[in-house]
Amino acid sequence: MIQEPRVGVFICHCGHNIAAKVDVKQVADYAKTLPNVIVSHHYVFMCSTVGQELIREEIKKHNLNRVVVAACSPSMHEPTFRTAIESAGLNKYLLEMANIREHCSWAHSDKEAATEKAKDLVRMAVAKASLLEPLEEEEFPVSPTVLVLGGGVAGMRAAIDLAEWGFNVYLVEKNPTLGGRAALTGWLTNNRRGADVVNNLINKIVDNKNIHVFTNAELVEFSGFPGNFKAKIKVNPRFVNEKCILCGECEIECPIEVSNEYQYGLSRRKAIFFPFKAAYPPIYVIDQRVCIKCGECVKACQYGAINLAEQSLTLDLNVGAIVIATGYDPYHPPKGEYAYGLHNNIITLFQLERLLDEDGPTQGKLIIGGAVPKRIAFILCVGSRNTTPSSKNYCSRMCCTSTLINAIKIKEKYPDIDVYVLYQDINTYGNDETLYEQAGEKLVKFIKFEKPPTVDISPEGIVIDVYETTIQEEISIPVDALVLSVGMVPRRDQNELIATTRASCGEDGFIREVHLKLNPVEAPTHGIFLAGAVTGPKNIIESIRAGSAAASKVATLLSEGKVRTEPFTANVNEERCSGCRICVGLCPYKAISLREINDRMVAYVERALCMGCGTCSAACPSGAMQQYGFKDIQIMAQVVAATGGGIK
Amino acid sequence: MSTNNYEPRIVVFACNWCSYAAIDLAGTSRKLYPPNVRVIRVMCSGRVDPQFVLEAFKNGADGVIVAGCRPPSDCHYINGNIKALRRFTLFKRLLEELGIEKERFRLEWISAAEADKWVRVVNEMLEELRRLGPLKAEAVSV
Amino acid sequence: MNNRPKVAFYWCASCGGCEEAVVDLAEKIIDVVSLVDIVFWPVAMDYKLSDVEALPDNSITVSFINGGIRLSEHEKVVRLLRQKSKLVVAYGACACWGGIPGLANQYSREEILERVYLTTPTTANPEKIMPPQDGYAKLGDVKIEVPTFLPELKPLDEVIDVDYYIPGCPPTPEVTWNAINVLLSGKLPDKGTVIGASNRSLCDECPLNKTKPENVLIKEFKRVVNYSPRADTCLLAQGLPCLGPVTRGGCGALCVKANMPCTGCFGPLENIHDYGGKALSFLASILDYENEEEIKREISKLPDVSGLIYKYTLPKSLLKNLLRSVRK
Repeated sequence: MIQEPRVGVFICHCGHNIAAKVDVKQVADYAKTLPNVIVSHHYVFMCSTVGQELIREEIKKHNLNRVVVAACSPSMHEPTFRTAIESAGLNKYLLEMANIREHCSWAHSDKEAATEKAKDLVRMAVAKASLLEPLEEEEFPVSPTVLVLGGGVAGMRAAIDLAEWGFNVYLVEKNPTLGGRAALTGWLTNNRRGADVVNNLINKIVDNKNIHVFTNAELVEFSGFPGNFKAKIKVNPRFVNEKCILCGECEIECPIEVSNEYQYGLSRRKAIFFPFKAAYPPIYVIDQRVCIKCGECVKACQYGAINLAEQSLTLDLNVGAIVIATGYDPYHPPKGEYAYGLHNNIITLFQLERLLDEDGPTQGKLIIGGAVPKRIAFILCVGSRNTTPSSKNYCSRMCCTSTLINAIKIKEKYPDIDVYVLYQDINTYGNDETLYEQAGEKLVKFIKFEKPPTVDISPEGIVIDVYETTIQEEISIPVDALVLSVGMVPRRDQNELIATTRASCGEDGFIREVHLKLNPVEAPTHGIFLAGAVTGPKNIIESIRAGSAAASKVATLLSEGKVRTEPFTANVNEERCSGCRICVGLCPYKAISLREINDRMVAYVERALCMGCGTCSAACPSGAMQQYGFKDIQIMAQVVAATGGGIK
Repeated sequence: MSTNNYEPRIVVFACNWCSYAAIDLAGTSRKLYPPNVRVIRVMCSGRVDPQFVLEAFKNGADGVIVAGCRPPSDCHYINGNIKALRRFTLFKRLLEELGIEKERFRLEWISAAEADKWVRVVNEMLEELRRLGPLKAEAVSV
Repeated sequence: MNNRPKVAFYWCASCGGCEEAVVDLAEKIIDVVSLVDIVFWPVAMDYKLSDVEALPDNSITVSFINGGIRLSEHEKVVRLLRQKSKLVVAYGACACWGGIPGLANQYSREEILERVYLTTPTTANPEKIMPPQDGYAKLGDVKIEVPTFLPELKPLDEVIDVDYYIPGCPPTPEVTWNAINVLLSGKLPDKGTVIGASNRSLCDECPLNKTKPENVLIKEFKRVVNYSPRADTCLLAQGLPCLGPVTRGGCGALCVKANMPCTGCFGPLENIHDYGGKALSFLASILDYENEEEIKREISKLPDVSGLIYKYTLPKSLLKNLLRSVRK
């Protein structure tokens, strides 16, 4: 299979960069003495046109089948020399570089010692080169279709960007409407509301024929590899079709009433309902979890829009990439944390946002427990920064800003209400820092704590006791209403998503990006991208940005029409493999599975998923799994050569 | 060879993405260090099979370094560094049982920016190896 | 004499189990005996060394030698057998890689003798009588030649040239029978081959392999001294450090069928350079912790790592020449 190695060694002076500290002629002469070396040359700049031509000529002249270039770091010119040997008819992976510049001439002062080291590095490279095999990159065509999971702001933004580039987008939302939590977010800065942002995005989606929206739908199966994933989508029945004109007659007749999650439980809704004013699609929906199928709504509907016999349907999609933008859950304080659940006037920030929103249950009036409070307090970092035993240790980023926006809103609407904000730190970063000043101007009272305050319920009402660290005094604040500024936590159903998509979560429990700085919005599995608060707390702007970022990453992957894999993948010798499964659980990319060959289960590497780390090869107890380009025998040969091969 | 001019030899397995790049950076920024190290590039510290390290010792390496990305999450391949951590934590225990000085093997986390750390690790290890002398008892008597 | 193949059996540093294994061929041994002439078998037949010395060179068709080389006598006899034999087969784990007695290579000869003759709890040796190390002992007035204890235990192939290997502690009757058939078939495999056993690791033939989950990750290394494994689930998946994945198959998973994890007596597959190093690599890889302290904590519960991963192969470890030299 492998030809008798005929190695050519080419040693670069790099001007004086190498030649000043390494006796290049001596190294070239030494190289000639090594096994399998046919020719050896040194030249002032190997990467120059002339240098590359020298390599090409020598390959042809001496019928070389392996090339060692001793020059700079492979990160510098490996691609250059690969191209050079390829143009001389060799497979470009029959090149091995010896790094005698960064690792040698630039790092050592003694010329004799540096020369000796350079010889060793060349010997190591020749040892490996003699065992190199031709490798092929594999190419796969890609499906120009993208699955976006989650119809919140991040998912919608990603879908719009991708559709505008011409990709076919399936936007799949678990709930009956697009919009996500941003639609319920109430006031943002600049007197805009979350619903306005959501409306704007929905309008763009409705107008775009490349986007196919599926609400009440979820991903149930996912397999394949980048460019060619197979996704099975289950679309749950809505029971109401496009004939619905939102007249609302059905809702009046419906006998079932439940807490309205679209108002965070501040109001009630029927089993047949319309989530909120800007909901899309603009059709009523029946909540099948609570509907008793009494048929009253069907009788009430004059348009024949309701069909209680509707069944779920499944869609099989072939998609090139997937964007996961499934968002977050608000932190839900356990009963008793800051007296939550013990008094009706203790609410969360998410509920307050609904109260102050003109589309909310009180049409924007701050009515808590039947009256407008005279004194209202916010406690920050609820559920965040280890303030209580059930808190997370991270900062949720948006709660400070959101608290101040709402505190200011209260002061604008009701200047006489006393507003207290109890905080550890105010993290209104960036432009939102002005909110802190505005709140001060509006006489919002800031109370700093280190030890979280205690909240007591007395017959007179709610009393907050706190040690104020600025004035260094224990103070007691009686209030009529208390808002807990809760943070963001991973979605409750996230584990199902992880199981289906092979995404993984980080220490904070959110879905993990490969690298925050080097590979943001990329999941460890190639072809899966992440947008919005699914990777951790984000505000609306940041989520939208992440949506755009994910879209551009998808476009980078799919725009060429094909994906090419690095050849340094793992490969199983199926004859040797005993199907012991050790490799399967170790693969960070779930690229390895078992498959049956001749009645035996053996490991199988999905090359398109394999990223080439080699951890399976290091563990394979049979030596059956080997990484191309980094096989055991190749590395062992380098080890032996590095130690002098016994000729110390 | 007398112990006076004994020059220890260190074999290094360096992750392509972090430690190998840090060693490049040490060169690029002309941070000088002794030439006793021989670096073998692997794509990930998770590729390093303990057999390679044993082979290095067998062939006369006085010390071995496996260098990868800082745990838990700097690994280019998600968690190859964690696999290395698991293997070489057990490996250190083995060396201890077999009577091989713990100073002869190091698992180091060196990010692409930590050229200084690389230089420090090499110098520290060389100092320790000079103190210990060659791993091969035979070499002492020659 | 007739033209039947001549066969010799010899034991070196071994427990006798390999000899038992030959007898365990049961009625098949009669087939074997009818096909061959046994010319030397100290444990079973009364031939003398001088009988072997009297044979012409290369006249023994095959010598099966079990046990590691630990005494000067072993060296002497196996060299003689090599001279007289066409084929030499290392029979059993000790002859192949040193086996359990090879674990003593972690200690010097002096340490071992002191331990065995003076300090074990069951030793009563008030006069501190030690075996002579000059090769002679006095029996009354007679000076007799006795073997000396070598500095370390060596696998057979480090003393003489070995043609084939039959693994196991001991090799099972099936493996022995398979190997004999290979040798009698006339179609001899490449020199250096392991014969009679499988070319895949034990998992391939283990009845519990199909019960192993796809993700084999464990939270602790359990021990059979304090954990009774369920018989219906892969022992490794249950946390027992079963070495089946790294061990050559062929035994039919006897230990696993008896609810005991594989300890590796069939040794490594051919492309493994160091059995223990590879065993260490896969075992550590599946220890499901990400944090160094937790990993150390679990590892600290292993009483004897070298004994676990090199139970049969320490004298073949890549570190074999470094063991004594660094031991204080």
